[in-house]
Amino acid sequence: MNYNLNQLSTQQEKQSTYKALKRLLQLISAERKNLWLALIAILVNSGLLLLGPLLVGHTVDTYIRTKQYHGVLVFGGILLVMYFFAMLTGYTQTKLMGGVGQRMLYTLRSAIFNKLQELPVSFFNQNKAGDLISRVNNDTDKLNQFFSQSLMQFIGSIVTMIGAGIFILSIHIELGAAALVPAVVIVLFTMVLSPWVKRKNATNLKSVGGMSAEIQESLNNFKVIIAFNRRDYFRKRFDDANKENYKTAIGAGLANNIFVPVYGLLSSAAQLTVLLFGIYLISKGSFTLGLLVSYISYTTNFYNPLRQLAALWTSFQVAMASWDRISQILLLETDLKQIDQVSEISSDALMEFKDVHFSYDGTKEILHHINLRFEKGKTYALIGPTGGGKTTTASLISRLYDATKGTVLLNGKDIRTYSAEERTQKIGFILQEPFLFTGTVKDNILYGNPQYKAVTDDELKQIIAEANLNDLLAIFDEGLSTQITSGSDSISLGQKQLIAFMRAVLRNPELLILDEATANIDTITEQLLSSILNKLSKETTLVIIAHRLNTIENADEIYFVNEGEVQQAGTLKHALDMLLEGKRVS
Amino acid sequence: MEKPKQEKKSSIFSLLASYRSLILLLILFALLSNGINLLLPKIIAHGIDSYTNGTFKIEPVLIQFSLAILLVFLFTYLQSIIQTYASEKVAKDLRSKLSDQISRQSHAYVIQANPSKLLTNLTSDVDSIKMFVSQAIVSMASSIFLIVGASILLLMINWKLALCVIAIVPIIGGAFFFVLSKVRVLFKKSREVIDWLNKVISESILGSALIRVVNAQMLEYHKFLDANGRARDLGLSILRLFAGLIPIIVFVSNLAGLCILVLGGHFVITNSMTLGEFTAFNSYLALIIFPILVIGFMSNVIAQATASYQRIESVLNAAEIKHPGTIQLDLIGAVEAKDISLSFGQKPVLKAISFSAKASSRTAIIGPTAAGKTQLLYILTGLINADSGEVLFDGKPINEYNQENFHRQVGFVFQDSIIFNMSIRENIAFSDTVTDESLAKAIETAELRDFVDALPDKLNTIVSERGSSLSGGQKQRIMLARALAVNPKILLLDDFTARVDYNTEKRILDNIQKNYPNLTLISVTQKVASVTHYEKVILLMQGEVIAEGNHEELLKTSPEYVQIYHSQQSTSNYELQS
Repeated sequence: MNYNLNQLSTQQEKQSTYKALKRLLQLISAERKNLWLALIAILVNSGLLLLGPLLVGHTVDTYIRTKQYHGVLVFGGILLVMYFFAMLTGYTQTKLMGGVGQRMLYTLRSAIFNKLQELPVSFFNQNKAGDLISRVNNDTDKLNQFFSQSLMQFIGSIVTMIGAGIFILSIHIELGAAALVPAVVIVLFTMVLSPWVKRKNATNLKSVGGMSAEIQESLNNFKVIIAFNRRDYFRKRFDDANKENYKTAIGAGLANNIFVPVYGLLSSAAQLTVLLFGIYLISKGSFTLGLLVSYISYTTNFYNPLRQLAALWTSFQVAMASWDRISQILLLETDLKQIDQVSEISSDALMEFKDVHFSYDGTKEILHHINLRFEKGKTYALIGPTGGGKTTTASLISRLYDATKGTVLLNGKDIRTYSAEERTQKIGFILQEPFLFTGTVKDNILYGNPQYKAVTDDELKQIIAEANLNDLLAIFDEGLSTQITSGSDSISLGQKQLIAFMRAVLRNPELLILDEATANIDTITEQLLSSILNKLSKETTLVIIAHRLNTIENADEIYFVNEGEVQQAGTLKHALDMLLEGKRVS
Repeated sequence: MEKPKQEKKSSIFSLLASYRSLILLLILFALLSNGINLLLPKIIAHGIDSYTNGTFKIEPVLIQFSLAILLVFLFTYLQSIIQTYASEKVAKDLRSKLSDQISRQSHAYVIQANPSKLLTNLTSDVDSIKMFVSQAIVSMASSIFLIVGASILLLMINWKLALCVIAIVPIIGGAFFFVLSKVRVLFKKSREVIDWLNKVISESILGSALIRVVNAQMLEYHKFLDANGRARDLGLSILRLFAGLIPIIVFVSNLAGLCILVLGGHFVITNSMTLGEFTAFNSYLALIIFPILVIGFMSNVIAQATASYQRIESVLNAAEIKHPGTIQLDLIGAVEAKDISLSFGQKPVLKAISFSAKASSRTAIIGPTAAGKTQLLYILTGLINADSGEVLFDGKPINEYNQENFHRQVGFVFQDSIIFNMSIRENIAFSDTVTDESLAKAIETAELRDFVDALPDKLNTIVSERGSSLSGGQKQRIMLARALAVNPKILLLDDFTARVDYNTEKRILDNIQKNYPNLTLISVTQKVASVTHYEKVILLMQGEVIAEGNHEELLKTSPEYVQIYHSQQSTSNYELQS
């Protein structure tokens, strides 16, 4: 399945825009009550603020001109009360809408993260870490900016604008219609231009993602850049990404900035229209001069929020482009679903491969006709030249991938019928590249282990002692509380492998795969590891992938994996002969 | 309080010095369009007045007005173009400067500065400065222009009423200052929360395979919810402050309007002010309020940009590593370590290590996990500096060599697979000195020929990031080819053989001897069998050299070595047969 976000098919793309919008509405639906309340607050607030100038005008006309100061004070009092209510509704509207925005952002981020957790390993292999981080962070932040800063103004402006629009139409329908002609032009202009603007922003966001991926890759591997004298190379690659970003950013910036001058021009054109058409109407005797003066300011009331909308529209376009990039992730579905139907095939072994084929990309087959059988409590070794398919086989055992053809059976049932929880509890896998989280050694060896969720240090020490892991823990200066920073060089690869080993053993799986899990550990410590493995309950089936032969000498059965095929090797001696004579595919 | 702020500001404005003409042009266009905009009401007023007087002619009004709005359009459009251009240029130049600076730094600096923080410097920090250039400068200039201009006009009309109206400026300013000083603390906190979110996200991406193997998706999700919830709560706190601020400002400015109505009305009634002046007061009030709001928001943008600029400056001003080394000699290949010590904090990693390797000799470093082997190799290549002691190449300290010249002659195969998302050719020919010939030789030596030939695009096949499309052994051999492609005089291997099968390993080591006969080899390894014929084996334990000598000697003198040897004996019988 294609998980590469930058190479989605157009069909996948098309599907996304429609579905994404639906999903956005779903996210809002929980906030319906707040949205209604906010809308009421906005309406009252805008109404009050629109009413203000009218009352001022009325006071001027009826009291100040006639020099009745008492009336001025009365209306001053009324205005004071109105302004006070406007303040309250203003507070309510900002608080409600901002709250909606913040909670939506929270829901949205959680939804993306949750989706990331649902997606299979191949998704992460097909996308760059820097680009994904940019999508979850930068793109949600663009949405956040829109929600927390612009959405309020956006809605407020639209409401004020509609109010003012109705107002000028109701005073004089013909003059009103003339005054609104430029607004229609603005709407058309916006509709025509928006897709282009959005595209420009999408291109820019993509290059931001690319640049972030570039930085991420180079900085995390800085030692190679130094040791191979490629500082200039780093500069050049970054420079290219930077220039590309500059180019797209200018494109997006020019597109985004086109709205403000055009909206300004057309708003002014509207004033001119009102002035000239108004004078024409006055000369025909169907309008008065006093009315024209106020009419011009009402028109300003309509066009000012529209001008604001020009700036907001830009941030809306950026937000939409970001939303597209996010929804590309949200709409991906994992192809590793749990299935219901039980296949006819059954097996009495703990794990059995029946005529399994596998391909990563659907074209180049990596494994062909694999038949394997792992029984309870026995130890198996997979040996063979590099690139022969050992790790891929192990990944199928733990269902990091599904077989393209054939069946993988766990306890006689199709492995796909197990829930992830059940499967991972039965199958342990020590990966070739150990990964540690930032935290302590304790955090890391208990990572994802539901059994020991809340143990104290003392209890854990006891558990470790019972699992014979004491000597391994002793290798860490501060034992359980040794601090680890993910991705740093502060502890050695061998130590990382030890933590991964302890982590897997403490989970007590029925089947444990060790994929070159001890490759960087010295041979004396490794002997310790094999004695620990030997003491593991006789129930545990071990599948060991190793190049070092002493690691596999105790295997009950040895499989020779080469060119995507698996053969039973019989004795260690025979396996070695095959290994020595075997042609490397890679 | 006031003074350091002033200094900070001067530093971010000093950034603009080299773009002076662009910025001046920007401000000029902004002021022009704002100025002409102020004229529009006058043209309308004039039109109406002339109509009342009966001297109305349509053409001059139409022409004047059209000309004015076209000029405004032209100036705002030019302003927006320059604005985009200037802000993106500042951002691009700043990023170039940063990357240039980072690219000259040492490995230790990058690790200590933390790559993800540098990523933030290069992205969001630069973004906030970009925002400053594109929005703050123009808005501040036009706002101050409008406030000052309108205030002068007001004072000229009626100074008593004007003072009453202008009084709102400090009130609003004070409210802003109060809220923003509180918000700034929250902003700082929310940046920390964002860092936290980033960490959770990136660890969950890099550790995705492990998370799936132990079914810890829910755990990660809850970790994320914690950080995300905190971000939401902070967002809501910031919101509460702003939700209070804006209505208060609107209220205060409405009070000013009320003041004009009541007080101004009084003046009009008592005939100390005309109705026209009264109307003008109202319209100028509207002119003042918006700029005040803008200045408030922009002061926040400036504060954020200042903070970002300080972070960027600390990277730009970081001391560069000194490359006093000038020696450009071709190495012969003798390596000597003299009394090298290294500590991480309190913890000693290497304790007074001394050894030497003759040119063209082979030396193995053997020792348990966490003995300090990798750190020793890092010191030998100058990736990190020892706390004390000296590394000599051909009798001269490593620091006296020209760095580029030195690295060109020393190949290093790292323990962890580092594969870049580029073609295989670029991954191997990672240095610019690699010729096609030396590339071919490196590929042959690393036994990669068959693998490369089987690929659809041969050497031009693009490898995915972190090399996830390659097997562990393939990655390691590409890394070896990368080191050999520079035709090194000295080759350092860090546990190279760990992921390569014995058969391939043996052939590769034979190839190295055949194709690179005069190479000095220093190899960290776990396998005794591979090093029995090496000139020297160094046994390293807990940062100390326990024993030194060739295989035979160590078997006689070092019980620890014998123990390691025995731990591998059972199977090395098989291995030796081959």
